[in-house]
Amino acid sequence: MDITSRRTEDALIVSAEGRVDGANARKFQKAVENVITDGDQAVILDMENLSYISSAGLRSILLIAKGLQKRSSKFAVCALQDPIREVFRIVGFDKIVSIYDSQGEAVKALGG
Amino acid sequence: MELPYKILVVDDEPDLEPLMLQRMRRYIRQGRYTFVFARNGLEALDRLNQDGDIDMVLSDINMPQMDGLTLLEQIPKVDPDIRSVIISAYGDMKNIRTAMNRGAFDFVTKPVDFKDLQITIERTLLHMQEWREALSYRDRLVSIQNELEVASRIQQSILPSEFPDDPRYQLHGHMEPARDVGGDFFDILDLDRGRMGLAIADVSDKGVPAALFMMSCRTLLKGVAIGLAEPGAVLSEVNQLLHEDNETFLFVTVLYALYDPSNGDFIYASGGHDAPLLVRADGSTTLLPLTDGIALGVLPDLEYRQHKIRLEPGDTIVLYTDGVTEAQNTDEKPFEVKGLQNIFTGPGSSLGARDGTDAVFQQVRDFMGKAAQFDDITCLTLHRDM
Repeated sequence: MDITSRRTEDALIVSAEGRVDGANARKFQKAVENVITDGDQAVILDMENLSYISSAGLRSILLIAKGLQKRSSKFAVCALQDPIREVFRIVGFDKIVSIYDSQGEAVKALGG
Repeated sequence: MELPYKILVVDDEPDLEPLMLQRMRRYIRQGRYTFVFARNGLEALDRLNQDGDIDMVLSDINMPQMDGLTLLEQIPKVDPDIRSVIISAYGDMKNIRTAMNRGAFDFVTKPVDFKDLQITIERTLLHMQEWREALSYRDRLVSIQNELEVASRIQQSILPSEFPDDPRYQLHGHMEPARDVGGDFFDILDLDRGRMGLAIADVSDKGVPAALFMMSCRTLLKGVAIGLAEPGAVLSEVNQLLHEDNETFLFVTVLYALYDPSNGDFIYASGGHDAPLLVRADGSTTLLPLTDGIALGVLPDLEYRQHKIRLEPGDTIVLYTDGVTEAQNTDEKPFEVKGLQNIFTGPGSSLGARDGTDAVFQQVRDFMGKAAQFDDITCLTLHRDM
């Protein structure tokens, strides 16, 4: 699991790579939370290069989303690979977290 | 304040006692050391046995009755954690080597340089202290491990191990945790009018936190299911109860179903759980539709839709957790729903509940080979005979 991030005018974009499972879910959550600063009004988690996420990883995303919600920052995920989109659908997270097909769409939706 | 370290000095020369007390008086006054003395190995052994609280032995080699090298062999029999330092003649490498081989921690040479001796004592005591701490950590680890084993037994014992004996249908289930304790569970409930409540669930984590959450889910589900009949209403109520005091943001995916053996009606609702696999008597398999429910414990005030199908004689329903479908082989390829379908397609459709469940675990194990088990694996199978 690897995390990279960059800031556009409108949003902080965090890209995750590899696998998030029970063994590294907490590390993943801390890593993402560490790059978020108080000034970030919108955070987009780009999952284009994420190949697997377990339920412990979903919980980490839930905790990140709750943290942002508390300070009224927006949050979305984008570019989910098919198996991960399926996991989101099964667990019902597609109804809790905003999902966009691409980074561009997510930035447009959250930045406006 | 900590007790002073107790050091036993063994030497047949009577002059050493007053000299030691005089040179070490600062440390004695500070309460760091206290000294006791013996004139030979035998006296030293008596003292060790009698006192029981000696931390370190400082011994000469050549003494009447029992020499220092023999004493070294005896000390571990009294207490293996006592550290020994030998006082030898300058350049007497042969005896020094023998002493080290017999377990001496260090040596000093005559004439004794008390500054150097004090450093040696400190180094020895530090080593002994670290050793004692390592031992106590080991003991604590062992006791935690024992507690986990007990927890594992308690957890396994609350899962159904006896299954209904009814000519109309068969039920069989099993859970295999990835660690000592797990976050998966399944349950079988006797409800009114001869109906059965079937549950399978997966908590979003593993190990002890998941196991604690799992226990409360299972209890809530059982309590709610006995009072309410409809699976959708059961999930809605359990979700509400779990959400009310869920500080941890753990969540649980649950599939809860109501089976009526009198007519084969199977009504289920899914809270974020994987779709049940339906195996028809003709050997065809399909995933039943999801009911679009969200995992339990995440959001309040949720409604859960339910779906109803009818099982005909010879049909099978397989409930499972993602530990089955996401089990990986050594090439990191997942078992997938396809792997599960392959077991029950065609001739596999007549396996029945017990052999069906056993086949799932056998095939998943064979598939994983030497790969590690990442997740708890659970499977509950229902088969209608008539």
